[in-house]
Amino acid sequence: MAAASETEFDLSVAEGVLARLGWTDRRDDGRDIAGQLIPLLQQLQDAYGYLPPPVLTWVSRRTGIPTSRMYGVITFYSQFYTEPHGKHTIRCCRGTACHVRGGKKIINAVTSTLGVEDGETTEDMLFSLEMVACLGACALSPVMVVDNTYYGKMTARRAEQVVQQFVQEEA
Amino acid sequence: MGRFVSVKAFLDHQQQLSATLDPNAKIITICGGTGCTAFGSPNVRKAFETELEKRGVATDVSVKVTGCHGFCEKGPVVVILPSKVFYPNVQVEDVPRIVEKTVINNEVIDELLYVDPATKQKIAYDHEVPFYAKQTRLVFRLNGLLDPIDLDDYIAHDGYLAAVKALSEMTPDQVIDEVRDAGLRGRGGAGFPAGVKWGFCRKAPGDEKYLVCNADEGDPGAFMDRSVLEGTPHAVIEGMIIAAYAIGASHGIVYVRAEYPLAVCNTRVALEQARDAGLLGKNIVGTGFDFDIEIREGAGAFVCGEETALIASLEGKRGMPRARPPFPANEGYRGKPTNINNVETLANVPLIILKGKEWYQSIGTEGSKGTKIFALAGKVNNTGLVEVPMGTTLREIVFDIGGGIPKNRKFKAAQMGGPSGGCVPAQFLDLAIDYDSVQQIGAIMGSGGLIVMDENTCIVDIARFFIEFVQKESCGKCVPCRVGTRHMLDILTRICDGDGRVGDIEQLEELARMVKSASLCGLGQTAPNPVLSTIRYFRNEYEEHIREKWCRASVCEALVEAPCAHACPAGVNVPQYVGLIAENRLEEAVNVIRRRNPFISVCGRVCDAPCERRCRRADVDEPLAIRALKRYAMDNAADVAGPLVPPASGKKEVAIVGSGPAGLSCAYFLALMGRPSVVFETLSIPGGMLSVGIPEYRLPKQSLQADIDYIVSHGVELRTNACVENVAALRKEGYKAVFIGTGAHHGRALRIEGEDLDGVVDSLVFLRSRALGEPLRCGKRVAVIGGGNAAVDTARSALRLGAESVLILYRRTREEMPAYEEEIEEALREGIELHELVAPKRIIGADGRVTGIEMVRMRLGDADESGRRRPVPIEGSKFVVECDMVVPAIGQRASTEALAGTVKLIPSSGIVVDKATGATSMEGVFAGGDCVSGGETVVAAIGAGQKAAVAIDRMLGGSGMLPADVQISMRRPSEDDLEKILPRVEEPMLAVEQRRGSFAEVLCGLTPGAACAEAGRCLRCDLERLESLAAREKVTENE
Repeated sequence: MAAASETEFDLSVAEGVLARLGWTDRRDDGRDIAGQLIPLLQQLQDAYGYLPPPVLTWVSRRTGIPTSRMYGVITFYSQFYTEPHGKHTIRCCRGTACHVRGGKKIINAVTSTLGVEDGETTEDMLFSLEMVACLGACALSPVMVVDNTYYGKMTARRAEQVVQQFVQEEA
Repeated sequence: MGRFVSVKAFLDHQQQLSATLDPNAKIITICGGTGCTAFGSPNVRKAFETELEKRGVATDVSVKVTGCHGFCEKGPVVVILPSKVFYPNVQVEDVPRIVEKTVINNEVIDELLYVDPATKQKIAYDHEVPFYAKQTRLVFRLNGLLDPIDLDDYIAHDGYLAAVKALSEMTPDQVIDEVRDAGLRGRGGAGFPAGVKWGFCRKAPGDEKYLVCNADEGDPGAFMDRSVLEGTPHAVIEGMIIAAYAIGASHGIVYVRAEYPLAVCNTRVALEQARDAGLLGKNIVGTGFDFDIEIREGAGAFVCGEETALIASLEGKRGMPRARPPFPANEGYRGKPTNINNVETLANVPLIILKGKEWYQSIGTEGSKGTKIFALAGKVNNTGLVEVPMGTTLREIVFDIGGGIPKNRKFKAAQMGGPSGGCVPAQFLDLAIDYDSVQQIGAIMGSGGLIVMDENTCIVDIARFFIEFVQKESCGKCVPCRVGTRHMLDILTRICDGDGRVGDIEQLEELARMVKSASLCGLGQTAPNPVLSTIRYFRNEYEEHIREKWCRASVCEALVEAPCAHACPAGVNVPQYVGLIAENRLEEAVNVIRRRNPFISVCGRVCDAPCERRCRRADVDEPLAIRALKRYAMDNAADVAGPLVPPASGKKEVAIVGSGPAGLSCAYFLALMGRPSVVFETLSIPGGMLSVGIPEYRLPKQSLQADIDYIVSHGVELRTNACVENVAALRKEGYKAVFIGTGAHHGRALRIEGEDLDGVVDSLVFLRSRALGEPLRCGKRVAVIGGGNAAVDTARSALRLGAESVLILYRRTREEMPAYEEEIEEALREGIELHELVAPKRIIGADGRVTGIEMVRMRLGDADESGRRRPVPIEGSKFVVECDMVVPAIGQRASTEALAGTVKLIPSSGIVVDKATGATSMEGVFAGGDCVSGGETVVAAIGAGQKAAVAIDRMLGGSGMLPADVQISMRRPSEDDLEKILPRVEEPMLAVEQRRGSFAEVLCGLTPGAACAEAGRCLRCDLERLESLAAREKVTENE
């Protein structure tokens, strides 16, 4: 992938995020912007859909937080990603209750239907697949979530149907 | 409502609200928890609102979306107030009926009610549903009642009274004393006393202190914190205000998982409301106390549940823990004194302040006070959130509240405490659970995740699952955790893949000890717990994976082609022959079975069918009737009498002692590999227990004979009336190998007074004498003692022999009886009386003959090693049962007379063998069947004979190759059939009135139509696996 440059992104969005967190150019106001790094990244990701590296470089220059520190945090937490995500995010639970009730079959069905593995996005940029430690919906196990909708008590076949339904809607 | 500027203003408002609470108000409460939302509660809510509008009653009846009711399994859950009528699984189309009948006319709609799976009774009111009735809901008391984001609703139900009381009437030290004396322990996992923790933070020097509510509930399988925050966020906020006041904190943070959007949203709204009402911020209700709370969303890292890692995360760093001390109470967030409590802990605090420590102390056990919320999930009927007093037993939680295990499968273990905890096996079902007792048995209370596992859960797979989880979540800071868990995962993965090595278990244990003792934080220190506890209680399952490549639960993919075939001790290719039956290719089906099992007629009738217990069709509706299909194929195949291979010829180098299923199978499989043998049988007829143990109404003589004839046709020499005096002598006679399959034909004695009276006959003697046509006097009133198949066979035989009444006396209950359930059912239908919970004390006689038996009543006590409850005698409950015949059927003993001075024996159980080969301690001598196990199933004996045949062939220079399995039926059910609920077929039975006085077979076999349809239900797991293997290969090729 050719290196993207800052000019491709609307940096006023990042400016807005910094402002909302109360950051100002004045270094002497005692505000600890580095301490707010996680909410900062969360809001940037919300605004851009992911964390574009050029934006991170810009934010680093602006705030003085080293990009090394940013990447340290980004790679540590499963929530952050530096590549664009698909239009829909499908999350499969790999928690204990789901595992005990055959969650692996659901995961296999979804991966084979979409043709992508954990953490990948389909080539048409429609679907991203994520495995989640536990969705906390164990009573519904095995469970999967598409965007913010929970699908409980799945079977491999129903999981496939749910995915297919989204695929058709997009076609 | 404005801002409360004084305590009085708040109390006035509170009183006003609470006075307007109308206990007779008509309210429709709909659960708005994540579970019910997923099942469609938002649409149900809309439907109710529309319907009320339509009927013009919208002003009289209100609709309220509440927090989680806990019974997620049955969502969407609707409760109609004030009557408390409870409707589970409510669908939009049910709404008009509910409004018309229940809401307006106060009628209960029968067909929408909850049906208790245990009693099949319909239950109308929520407090009568066993799931709720047996709980003590304190923290959850308001969850199904309140609108989570309605502050007044919370205040009306005594909300914020505790906070205002603490702030206005108590000093911080008094608050700390109250909570400490109440005995509240941290609900996040470790169980540290909350009051003590507060005390540390209060005493720590510094004027800036922080209070953190840990809602980073990352423990897979726990979801109570989510539910509490979603349902009653104000209760958590109130707990935080009290805690902050106690320790002197002015700033609070709720650290909540981003994966919990509803919890984040409700908490955010509740904070806003509390702030607007003056319950947060500067000068709270005019008391002069300042405190505010912000929300931080966790970015997805399990380790951030650890205090120091959580603090690092709050500070915008990688969530890595650090060494303690200094403890967060002295140096926490931003280096300031910080107190971190879990959501559930904080939600308990207002209750303690409001109701007092004495009240709180009265709930729970000596060392653990109050209630605990468990997230009940996994293989249990009623999944959901369960709040019970500390000290409740696992049996009460899993069986009384949880409704037991689906499909009546066996409870294997419960995983408590998630990846940091351990498994609790069946023997501890009656242990009173609190922090300390759970720790003693190698698990932890943890946050309260409780995953139930049944017999179809593989314990090694579970251990691998947890290690994989912690390995992924290990932050990587310290080597023991980062590298140690990696090595443990590698070993566990290879065991599950069938590549385990001898010594792996020991290496796992050593690594586990190292990781435990040398890791920096709680994650690493507890990560090996699931492995250690599963090895501790289920070491045999690890060994089976390593040595026999066998996964008893049929879970580990690399080992299992199809669960049914894997579960069969004889390794019969079940899906293949079922597919052939569906295509009406019966001869081929029979031949597929015969590659691994010569006793088709027998196993088609009396097999305990372990295959059916693993059948995946059960996940759709019910397991396939595999046993009935097997019988159908054999009974209806046109020409299957001839041998599978030409009869073996040549010198007979193998002697087989005993012609039961083990011995004849061994002879048969040797013949398939070209080796003839001689089978010695002491009795006049062959078949062992099959002919002298199982009565003809279950296994007709001609069916058994057909199987034996078939075996003999392979060049097997059968010598009846040929008693082998000594096994060692056979070796001297020139037999290069000997297989012992002498069975277990001796009954166990009762060891009570009167056993020598005339009329006391052991059940095995009784059944054998009858089968051989020896003189046998059957009593008029027969008492059979025991609960196994021999007991039921004896009882049903006695009835057929003309006994006027037959009783089965059993010391436990029907549920614990080892006999097949369908046999018990038929015995009862035939008029046999079952007396549960009674044990014999002495047999009473007159003139040397039995006249009765003195019994004592029993009750069920705590679990034994298998999880069955031990019978305990009830003092002073003796009574006499009159009878003229007593038949003890309490167990059997291996027949080992011919073995004196030869192979190694365990006196009370049987011959000692290598499980994989059947080899005994004496060279060239093998053994299998009941003489090894002391009494097992037919198909287990067949499998043992088969294994020994393979080992003998190899010993004698052969390849040990059984005829290859060929894939010939590719028939699969259609996609539509996969979804349809198709009930399992049942075999027709002989009418009950025709059974007395006759030994005619009871089960009548399937009709062609029924058999074909039944076989068509098979999911063909074997083909599915083939396909996925092929797909994987294709992917590899493409890459």
